[in-house]
Amino acid sequence: MARRRIRLSPWPVLSLPGIAWLALFFLAPLYVVLAIVFGSVDPTFRTPAPIWNPLHWQAGQLTYVLDRIVGSNAVFGPALLRTLVYVLVASTLCLTIAFPVAYYVARLSTRRKGLILALLIAPFWISYMMRMLAWVNLLGTDGLVNKTLSLGGLFDVHVDWLSGRSIVVILGLVYGYVPYMILPLYAGLDRLPQSMLEAARDLGANRARAFVRVVLPMCRPTIIAGVLLTSLPMLGDYYTNDLLSGSPSTAMAGNLIDQTVLTPGETGYAGAFVLLVLVVSLVPMLYYVRSVARSELTAT
Amino acid sequence: MTDARRRPPPRLVRRRSFLQLAAAAAGLPALASCVRAPRTRSISGALTLAAPDHPVTWPIYAGNEPIADNRTPERNATLRLYNYADYIGPEVIKAFEKKYSQYNVNVTVSTFNDTDEAMTKIRTGAVPYDIYFPSYDQISRLVAAELVRPLNHSYLTNIVNVWPAFQNPWYDQRWRYTIPYTVYTTGVAWRTDVVKTDIATLPNPYDTLWDGAYQGQTAIIDDWHTAMAMCLLRAGKTNVNTSSPADLALIQRQLEQLQQAVRPRVTITMYNDLPAGRFGQCQMWSGDVVNAQYYLPKGTSVDVLRYWFPPDGRGMVDNDLMVILKGGDNPVLAHLFLQHMLETKNALANFGYVGYQPPQRSLDPDAVVSRGFVPKNLASAVVREEYFAVGYRLLELSVANDAAWHRIWLAFKAGA
Repeated sequence: MARRRIRLSPWPVLSLPGIAWLALFFLAPLYVVLAIVFGSVDPTFRTPAPIWNPLHWQAGQLTYVLDRIVGSNAVFGPALLRTLVYVLVASTLCLTIAFPVAYYVARLSTRRKGLILALLIAPFWISYMMRMLAWVNLLGTDGLVNKTLSLGGLFDVHVDWLSGRSIVVILGLVYGYVPYMILPLYAGLDRLPQSMLEAARDLGANRARAFVRVVLPMCRPTIIAGVLLTSLPMLGDYYTNDLLSGSPSTAMAGNLIDQTVLTPGETGYAGAFVLLVLVVSLVPMLYYVRSVARSELTAT
Repeated sequence: MTDARRRPPPRLVRRRSFLQLAAAAAGLPALASCVRAPRTRSISGALTLAAPDHPVTWPIYAGNEPIADNRTPERNATLRLYNYADYIGPEVIKAFEKKYSQYNVNVTVSTFNDTDEAMTKIRTGAVPYDIYFPSYDQISRLVAAELVRPLNHSYLTNIVNVWPAFQNPWYDQRWRYTIPYTVYTTGVAWRTDVVKTDIATLPNPYDTLWDGAYQGQTAIIDDWHTAMAMCLLRAGKTNVNTSSPADLALIQRQLEQLQQAVRPRVTITMYNDLPAGRFGQCQMWSGDVVNAQYYLPKGTSVDVLRYWFPPDGRGMVDNDLMVILKGGDNPVLAHLFLQHMLETKNALANFGYVGYQPPQRSLDPDAVVSRGFVPKNLASAVVREEYFAVGYRLLELSVANDAAWHRIWLAFKAGA
């Protein structure tokens, strides 16, 4: 009987750097977080005393946080709910703004495409923090926004934009993250086969119907990817609120992490909040994976 | 500065903001940094807590004795200071380097955002810092864990320049480990173009921070103990280190009322935000309001700024310290640096930069105004020696009490 020769393909080796990266910068830190959350606290310095052996893990710090999310003692519940609402509204607004822009660049612009793309990437040249700091000045009581609203001094406008207003934080999130949605949407829309659209039009669909019945369904994975790319970092964002509000009334999950991570005795709570954000992030991520798998199945 | 997040005023606003945010961005990696094995003496039993009515003489442990007299300074050394950002004047550092140039001394400053972060890093022993600038509420842990080196007084003859109370302070009797650095009060600051009432004339000036008329125009200090102690003072309670559940419940209620009434900003950047007009009134450290004059927009007179602190001194008073860390490589230079900072000329130069007053005997409080360190309308920000006899000190709390205070603060910060 002829022995079958097994030939090892060299290609999987290429994935090793990625796996090493994941192990080093995701799995290892995640394990540290778990060891802290399920660990104890130094009785004197109140610094975290991680427990590395999962068999000895204690759930006290996690249950402290979980017990305070709902119920009569729900001190963390409002901030977590607020985070979800802010992220939901901001992501919807991002999509509403980004989709037409991406659609225009990908499908309608011709000669100016390069220039428009360069302009879309322009915000990345300036750090997120700098852009937010600019808004702090623009939104100040005597800032440009109030001056514009006063129509050159015609009206007396003294809106305290930076005084703990949810709308300002949400718009700050939209402003900060919308470029992250435009680019993946553009990439997806640009690859949309023109022939499919033409087929829809040939079969009698008008522009709107072709858009709704063909473009949108085909773009679903792209839209989900864009929403994920913006909403996931928003879930952990804390500096937008810090800079544009600074008030506890608009605190988000990221602010809870920031507040507790270096506070004596509360580092474990920070880890618990990190885990909560991680769990919440997993839901849309799994939906994305499922959606991509389905669209690939349809394509084949 | 007594605790977390309490920091001095900077010269560069943007730099300060960057430092703040960068450090905050480092929050999660800090989880990992927290787990480095501490290289300190293990502590058993409860900590000894110092208080004005319970002065403490810290022990000197075997193996951690003061350095010998008359030692030659280390040559070609880098003296590492560990301090809040912009809390020491660069010119004072340069003057020290020049003074000991024959030894080719280089001084570097590393910064932390709050003393909890600093303590964590010092305990890892990762960097051999020579001098650290803590508050007295960390002394018990610093000494008990043998993180600090006892002082050799023969190098520190300039101690006679400081207020007598600091030559034998209650938190470190016989000043075995600490040298005073700055003194400050905590009061209420406001802009006269926003707050038309003279807050100083109100029956209870703290009430102004709860006044709904200033919603969106109010800020409090992002420091749990300072902010929460103010709630007690407002209610007429003077034990600002209480462990009474009723008092803690009172603080919680006060914070909830504050949140409902004015939605305050909780920040440490009032030295910049108040002059910039981002709010009109705030709780403030005296050193910050002194520095605020430099952050006023062009064309705005310094006269718009005001500061109230109880004239009888019955408010929050504090001081920061300098200590020599045991893990440092240059104990002789460290002593000489402390001596340098105690010299009146250098202490005043430093005051001009950081805005926080040194407890120098030669610094007549009235002269502070006449010599231009503090504008006349902010004369109440001048710290007087007698305040320390009657003022309220934010002390180190027992572990359980500290946790109880922190829980209330966290609930407030979460916007519950």
